[in-house]
Amino acid sequence: MQLFPCPFCGPRDETEFHYGGDAGNARPDGVDVPIERWADYLYLRTNPKGTAREIWVHMNCGEFFVMERDTVTHKVLSSTALGGEHAA
Amino acid sequence: MRDLAEKWSVAPDWQSAVIAAPGLVVRAIAGLNQLLVSGDLDAWTRASGLDGNGVGAFGTAQGDRYAARLARDRLLVVSNGPLPVATGWHAEGFAVTAISAGLQVFEVEGSALDAFIARGTTLDPRQASASAALSFAGISAIVYRHQGRLRIHVDRGLAAYLWTWMETAASNITAGSGN
Repeated sequence: MQLFPCPFCGPRDETEFHYGGDAGNARPDGVDVPIERWADYLYLRTNPKGTAREIWVHMNCGEFFVMERDTVTHKVLSSTALGGEHAA
Repeated sequence: MRDLAEKWSVAPDWQSAVIAAPGLVVRAIAGLNQLLVSGDLDAWTRASGLDGNGVGAFGTAQGDRYAARLARDRLLVVSNGPLPVATGWHAEGFAVTAISAGLQVFEVEGSALDAFIARGTTLDPRQASASAALSFAGISAIVYRHQGRLRIHVDRGLAAYLWTWMETAASNITAGSGN
């Protein structure tokens, strides 16, 4: 069992959170988006070994945030609230 | 045709339902006025004169009119009687929704309260947390203290389940079981 830090609530049980995908994987916009870009957006993941930047949501308070964590050690490096903008 | 209602336990009569075990008493609380406030909570405070912060998880609420914080932009306002606040959107930047019929409230007290909490959540009840919304007994709940007792608000549709869970927890605490 891990504790994840919600930017608003503080440390909470990992079961209260839901994974939202890689940070920075913004949905392509416009009519001229090539299929390779769509494929990249939909199917290709960086899957880093080490530091990863991910979107998470705390289901109980509804807070969306970017969490940086190490996929090897499971250490959480940071969690930052999203203010409605796309995560870079 | 199969009667699937037989699969479910009958919901208790909340007016008289009580779980009594050594060091633990659980009751359903009826008649509380509950409002959800969403949006600009500073504007809510200015317009209503009521608390715009609210207690967090296991925080202590005082009096017969108080608020529990659910999210960065959401409060549950609880009072014994109706509040002079209209439901709906307010131009100041917040919305008020009546939720009295949607949430069932339980109150738990006794010397075994800590053991009861430990069975419901892995959260440390001594560590402050801004939001009173948390997972308790495997479901989303709003949990805080009020006048020395623990208050739990849950979706009314989950109240019968939580009651069954609390009966089992009280029984296991009495038996000294680790389950």
